[in-house]
Amino acid sequence: MLLQPEMPILQVRNLTKHYLPQSGFSFSGGKSVIKAVDGVDFDLYPGETLGLVGESGCGKSTVARTILRLEEPTAGEVLYRGQDIFSMNRTELKTLRRNVQVVFQNPYAALNPRMSVEDILSEPWVIHPDVLPREQWADRVRELLVQVGLRPEHAERYPHQFSGGQLQRIGIARALALSPEVLICDEPVSALDLSVQAQVINLLEEIQAETNIAYLFIAHDLSVVRHISNRVAVMYLGRMAEIGPASEVFNEPAHPYSAALLSAEPTLKPDEIGRERIPLKGEIPSPANPPSGCRFRTRCWKAQAVCAEQVPQLEPRPPGSNRLAACHFPMDAPDAEIPHHLQST
Amino acid sequence: MTEPLLTVRDLKVEFQTGLETVHAVNGASLTVEAGEIVAVLGESGSGKSVTAAAIMRILPIPPARIAGGEIIFQGRNILTLSPSEWKQMLARDVALVLQDALSALNPVYPVGWQIAEVFRVHGERSRKVANAKAVELLKRVGIPDPERRAKEYPHQFSGGMRQRVMIAMAVALRPRLLIADEPTTALDVTVQADIMDMITQISWEEGMSVLLVTHDLGVALRYAQRVCVMYAGRVVEAGPVREVLSRPAHPYTLALLQSAPQARAEGERLNPISGSPPDLAHLPPGCPFHPRCRYAADVCRASRPAETNILPGRRVECHRAMEVLDVVAA
Repeated sequence: MLLQPEMPILQVRNLTKHYLPQSGFSFSGGKSVIKAVDGVDFDLYPGETLGLVGESGCGKSTVARTILRLEEPTAGEVLYRGQDIFSMNRTELKTLRRNVQVVFQNPYAALNPRMSVEDILSEPWVIHPDVLPREQWADRVRELLVQVGLRPEHAERYPHQFSGGQLQRIGIARALALSPEVLICDEPVSALDLSVQAQVINLLEEIQAETNIAYLFIAHDLSVVRHISNRVAVMYLGRMAEIGPASEVFNEPAHPYSAALLSAEPTLKPDEIGRERIPLKGEIPSPANPPSGCRFRTRCWKAQAVCAEQVPQLEPRPPGSNRLAACHFPMDAPDAEIPHHLQST
Repeated sequence: MTEPLLTVRDLKVEFQTGLETVHAVNGASLTVEAGEIVAVLGESGSGKSVTAAAIMRILPIPPARIAGGEIIFQGRNILTLSPSEWKQMLARDVALVLQDALSALNPVYPVGWQIAEVFRVHGERSRKVANAKAVELLKRVGIPDPERRAKEYPHQFSGGMRQRVMIAMAVALRPRLLIADEPTTALDVTVQADIMDMITQISWEEGMSVLLVTHDLGVALRYAQRVCVMYAGRVVEAGPVREVLSRPAHPYTLALLQSAPQARAEGERLNPISGSPPDLAHLPPGCPFHPRCRYAADVCRASRPAETNILPGRRVECHRAMEVLDVVAA
């Protein structure tokens, strides 16, 4: 559960990742910079699940890859327990890698087919030998397998002998082998069938209740994120549109994009079935040439002239709340509440 | 009562793999009436896509083999038509949209040319007329600036726009039936909603039936009128989608709903289905769902439940369907 106002375990500040065009022939011809992530801020607290949602190309996976230091950021910093991960030396980085682990979407690609499950699960201890003495490896492997709902004898098997859901459990077991404080889950259940997906989600919830691990849970499936998250962050075109407690963001979205996104999701909840969808104009613009001001303005039904001129900042919505939204005309503000300097436009 | 547009009766499709025979479709039956959208709902390996492929006659034979049953479309058994007779019906009477639009389009021809080809193959002599019709279709499926876009190539389109192009091609000759196999699974939710709204609108305007193959309960509920729930190669429950998903009669449908975060209230735990999906090469005796079923009794292990009309318009294959209905009502 939420343990604020504890010290955040991860602090992401103005994180920016621009991809420069590759040299050589390009179909698009231009030398445009792809602004995949453009100034993203958020905190992750121990024991919480922060859901990160947004559509293809919004930058959510780039955020994850940058936090894992698989990418170098163009600007900004990520603080792990107050220390910037991009200026860490080798030893510090090794500690970071031990404490921040990852589960990827495709377990078939994430596990080496030529290694037995025993070897896969012991490998983290080969890299971090001070975590667990060698004579305890075999026992701990079997404990981990039981923890993720598999059987001890599965240790002798190879990845091809498992189903997709079982492989994802092995991927989770491997991530847990070093008892990390943070687990980055990048679409961990997207490839799984509904009944198996539910098993893996329950497993992640049980592990969190036992170990107080923090999850950064990235998914495009809103219902999964809604179910598992304490807080939710909505990204659009490299920027944060809205962040706050899951129930607030999902029940009363403040940013028009969040509202449109949620209204498009086919629901099964009886009280939401007749809900009107908010259609969006056009397509998502290219991150190589994002709109000025608010990135969402080209598709927003509330957009005014000011939206093209001023970049909206993340502000509490409603004022005083711990939910932040970056919008000049948020969903909850009646016209009278629109700041005076914007009313004339 | 008039004949349904499509009747699949006791369809059996087997795949020969090495020494084993995989029963991918194992006696599936369903109907599609004129103008209605029917969702075929199931998880991986339930036989939903193989059923769709059998209707389109695009099964890879071998290793696949139609081991029994019939597919009656507009009064004729599709399975016994000659290839040339079937070719006449394709696109004109029945068309297909798949999940992966990029691999279904030819990368070296402009999309307008590819749509116009449908008209040229089916008797349009004038290139000019065919091209004009293609532009008209692109406009209809919501592609902005269709004259310019018709001259562009598939790689210049986004995933959602490509799927729109595929739908334009599929509905070009106003087929009576559109088979859509996971048409929006790879797309973002806002794009999915746009495309499903468009399919629904075309279906309504043209009286075109749609067989919508999906794994998404929410998509089935929002866009279909009726649903066929498949498990282990059989349609285990069928009926009006709102009734089936609000008051399921088959324990599998109930279990699916209880494992869906979409259907759970805030803070409510998911209730996964125990066990693993059925091994289609070694199906259990009796009801194929009994090893994972909370309601399984001796009779379920001994004999396969017969198809029962449990309520008007609702069909279910379960020995204990009445009890399941009552559980949900309570």
